Order: sequence, then structure tokens, then C-alpha cells
Amino acid sequence: MKYISFENFKNLIREVSEEKEVITSFKKDTYYDWKKCNGDEIDLRGFRTVLPLKYFFFSPQENLIEKEKKSFFIVGARACDLRGLELLKKIYLDEPEDPYYKKDNFIISVDCTEFHDNCFCVLLGDTPWPDTGFDLNISVLEDGYIVEVGSENGKEFIKKHENYFRDASSDEILKREKLREKIKNELSKKLENRKIDINKLKEKIEKNEDVFKEFGSKCVSCSACTNICPCCFCFFLSEGNKNKIRYIDSCQFKGYARVAGGANPRKDIIKRFKHRFLCKFSYRIDMQGIKGCTGCGRCIDGCQGGINFKEVIIRVNGE
Amino acid sequence: MDPYKVIKAEVLDVKDETPEIKTFVLKPEIDFEFKAGQFIQFTVFGVGEAPFTPSSSQFEKEKLEVTIMRTGRVTEVIHRLKKGDRVGIRGPLGNGYPLEEFEGKNILIVGGGVGLAPLRALLLSLLHQRDKYGRILLLYGAKTPEDIVYKNEFSKWKEKGVEVLRTCDNPDNSWKEKKGVVTCLFEDIKIRVDNFISVVCGPPIMMKFTTLKLLDIGFHPSKIYLSMEKNMSCGIGKCGHCALGKYFVCKDGPVFKYSEIKDIEGIWD
Ligand code: SF4
Ligand code: SF4
Ligand code: FES
Repeated sequence: MKYISFENFKNLIREVSEEKEVITSFKKDTYYDWKKCNGDEIDLRGFRTVLPLKYFFFSPQENLIEKEKKSFFIVGARACDLRGLELLKKIYLDEPEDPYYKKDNFIISVDCTEFHDNCFCVLLGDTPWPDTGFDLNISVLEDGYIVEVGSENGKEFIKKHENYFRDASSDEILKREKLREKIKNELSKKLENRKIDINKLKEKIEKNEDVFKEFGSKCVSCSACTNICPCCFCFFLSEGNKNKIRYIDSCQFKGYARVAGGANPRKDIIKRFKHRFLCKFSYRIDMQGIKGCTGCGRCIDGCQGGINFKEVIIRVNGE
Repeated sequence: MDPYKVIKAEVLDVKDETPEIKTFVLKPEIDFEFKAGQFIQFTVFGVGEAPFTPSSSQFEKEKLEVTIMRTGRVTEVIHRLKKGDRVGIRGPLGNGYPLEEFEGKNILIVGGGVGLAPLRALLLSLLHQRDKYGRILLLYGAKTPEDIVYKNEFSKWKEKGVEVLRTCDNPDNSWKEKKGVVTCLFEDIKIRVDNFISVVCGPPIMMKFTTLKLLDIGFHPSKIYLSMEKNMSCGIGKCGHCALGKYFVCKDGPVFKYSEIKDIEGIWD
């Protein structure tokens, strides 16, 4: 484990930004967003951005031709973003590999020091800090950061920029553990110390009709929840002038599952609404071995029908 | 390799099957191999692409046949294609029929309408090595005699040792064969299901009743192979369009054993 002072970190990012496009999360009014950055104004406290990290890995609309694939240097990814990417990687990089998925991005993630009103990662048994999926992870102390290495690239990066870092003391590491426990407990408390057994949730979703009817009837099929979700990966392949174009798509659209002959297994909104939960808590677990929801709560931020997805899960789960 | 890259192909010939169905003979620019039951994405440049299962033998290396019914925007444009036109194909995609597993077995093939297309690929591939298989039965149903695809080929298949039975829902007076939906052909066959496997393709409703019939006469769910139709887009298990329960039909299918999918809600919808 390494330590880097705030000042050193700024200088380090400044140095990196001369070679690479650095993207960082930053606070805008009450929420967080992504921006280009050259090392100034870096503040890694806080929680996840509104827009998920996934759009730095594939764009919502892109031309699929051999093109220069610029990779990003990302600072400030949160645990829930990385968990989403774990799933996206399983989909996009599984054989045959999608050559347009940017697997070369460098990721510096960071422990959450606060949480958003809609956050519920802890409810699903996850933590507000990442355990894998990063090149480097940062935990914020009063005067600097603790840096954990998560990949070979991360290791090399530290070696290359050795002079900015020193070894973290055991005291500092202990502090990190305490801070982590503290934020986790606070979020747990906010969620009334509820815990959901993901393994049992699948069957409960399958059997439930009423809750999906109740909440699903408010859905206006706008696709905000899927667009904003760090785990949703669906797209539509279309024909451009010279080549294929990929558009982000949504299983919540009525025409999404319609076949050429006209049959449509999910023309009913309630079926589509429920499908989203089945995908996340049943199908993805069965096929990719990983759930399709990280509890980031972004879909709640975005929902035009005022649906609280966390409540849906809690209600389906039952007391 | 870019799985989104399209292979250019020339239209060598267009055969009218029915007023709504045509078979396109394509010559891909590069060597193209596939397994019967696998599908391709047929690209009309600048217009769009749509998924179809080739209907020619997998042992035919020179050209590729695709039988296409006019159902929507893309197929409308495809139907206007003429000899010499340039199109694209992407594939082969999906799993295909497990021909090795069929060896030494009797095979009951049941098709409805244009659903005979993938089954023709299967049939021609089986006939390529006829002696590897036992009895081959083909039950085929169409709405009217006019709607029958591959009209001239049934007699050839018979000569090569296929037992063919056909039916039409709404035949005219000239029709000498069975009248009714495809499942009524089961009255006329005598089989002991023990060493049989069965392969079904057609409209959802036809697949449903055929599957029920097969179960009824004693077929084990793992001995019924179904070609599932979904609105495939990427064709490589990324875009989510073809979800059938936990499966991506484009990758885990399109050929499924009934036993694999029987518990999924709404498989026939
Ligand atoms: S479903 Fe909602 S809470 Fe779960 S990962 Fe997606 S956006 Fe976040
Ligand atoms: S969901 Fe958890 S990990 Fe994501 S921002 Fe909120 S607290 Fe952090
Ligand atoms: S067609 Fe895209 S996942 Fe199957």
C-alpha cells in the first residue's frame, strides 16, 4: 500500500495529462459529473457521478469502423461503476471479443466518503469501496491518499512515478479501514440495516406479480433507467453509409423484442418492467456469474415515472 | 477479427418460391463455411440487416442459399434484389444442429411454412452422408399448395431416401395430399420413438403444437430440437436483443433442445 499527498497527486495528474486524456469526477451543485482534467481542482471525496462510467468504454452511439481508439485515464470511478464494468467486460470481451470496447482505459477508483440519497450498494451485500476492477484505488485521508494497486498496469504506473509516492504506514492503513467501516455503517443505517439475500431474490422476482404491476404501471418506457445504469449493455446494430453503427437500446422500449413476423413476447409494459429485474438478478447471475445491479441508485435519479427501484427490490424481497 | 465486419457477396440468382418468399443464391467474396442451423445477418448496404438461416447444404462450399419471406422493411428491400447485386453477410452465427449427435439415429423433421428453410439445410447436409443416419422423415405443412417452398425438390428428396408427408391448411381441389395443420400428419406415420430425434422449425404456434404432439407420442424433451426465432441484432451475444430467459438465442441457440428451454415463461410468444 502506498501513500501520496494531495499536492503530489495533483502534480502527478498534471504530468499524466500531458500525455493522456484524463477524465475525473467533480462536484457540480449537489451532484457529480465527469470532466477533462489537467490536475487542478481535483477533489476525490463524495460519491458516484450521475452518468455511469460505461460511456468511456463504449459510446452510446458509435460508428464501428477501424478508427483510432483513444483510451482514457480515469480518476474517481466508484465501486458501483467498477462492478458494472465487471459485467460489461464479461459481455463485451467474451468470445468473440468486441473490438470497440475500450479495455485499455486506466482506472483510478476511489472509496466513497459520502453517499447519495438513492445509493443502496450495501443493501445488496456490496461495499462503498471496490475490491477489484481498478488499476489503482484511492482512499481519502485528511492530508493525502492511500493507494492500493489492483493490476500489473497499476504496479508499473507507480514504479514509473515512484518519486511521488511513499509507503503507507500501518497507522494510515488502519485509518483507511476505520473510514471504510464508518461509511458502510452510515449507509447501512440509512437503509435500516436491511440486507437482501441475492440468491433468494431470483425466485421471489419470478413469483411476484403484484409489486411489478404496481410499480410497472408507472413506467413510461423512456429508457432513462437503462441508459443511466452502469450494468445495462443492450444496443442495436444498424447500418450506416459505409459501416455498422451501434446505438444504445433499451429492453424497456415496446418494439425491442419484436420479431420480423410481428410476434412480440414483451409488448406488455409490466412484462418489460419485470424483465429488467429478472435480467439483473437471475439471468446475469446464471450466465455471467455476476448480478446486473450494483445498487448505485442511478435509475432512481433518472426515472421519469417516479419509480423507486430500491423500493421495488425491498418490496419483492419482503420482510 | 472484427465480428461486425461484413463479408461482401454477389447475388448469383433469385428463385421465386411463393408470392411472398424468394430464395437468393449468394456467392461470398471469401470462403464461407457454416453448419446447418447456424444463421447469418443479411446486410443490404445502407438499409439494414436481418437474420436468416441459410437453406443450402453445409457441404456446398461455392455458394450459399438464403430463403426469405417478405415481412418488413429490410425484407421488402431484399425482395427487390436482382442477379448481380452486391449484398453483405455476417456470420456464421449461433450453434447449428449437432449433426454428430444425429449419427446412427432416425430423424423426424417437422416444418411449417418458410420454417422449412433451415430444415432444408439440415436435410441436404444429412443426404450428403445419407448412410450415417437411419430413417429420415419429413412432415411439412403450408397454408395452401401455392405457399409450399422448394416445390420441385420433394421428389428428389424422396428418391434419396426421405419419407415425405405434406399437408395444407387450405388446399384447393387439385391437392391430393393431407388436409389440415401439420400435427395431423402424425396420424399417418408409424414410428417407435426410442431411436428417434426430432427437429422442428416453423411459426411459433406450429412449433408449440408440434412439440406438444411429440411429447405426447413419447419423445423425451432432450430429443426435440427447436430452432428459435428472435429479433437478433448483433448476433454475437452482446446486444441483448435475442434474450430468451437467461439465454441469448444468437449465441446459445438458435437451436435448443426443448429440455433446455421448457421452463422459460412465454417461449412460444
Ligand atoms: S438497476 Fe439501477 S441501481 Fe441497479 S445498477 Fe442499474 S442504475 Fe444502478
Ligand atoms: S452506491 Fe455505494 S459505491 Fe456507489 S456511490 Fe453510492 S455509496 Fe458509493
Ligand atoms: S443478437 Fe445481440 S445478443 Fe443476441
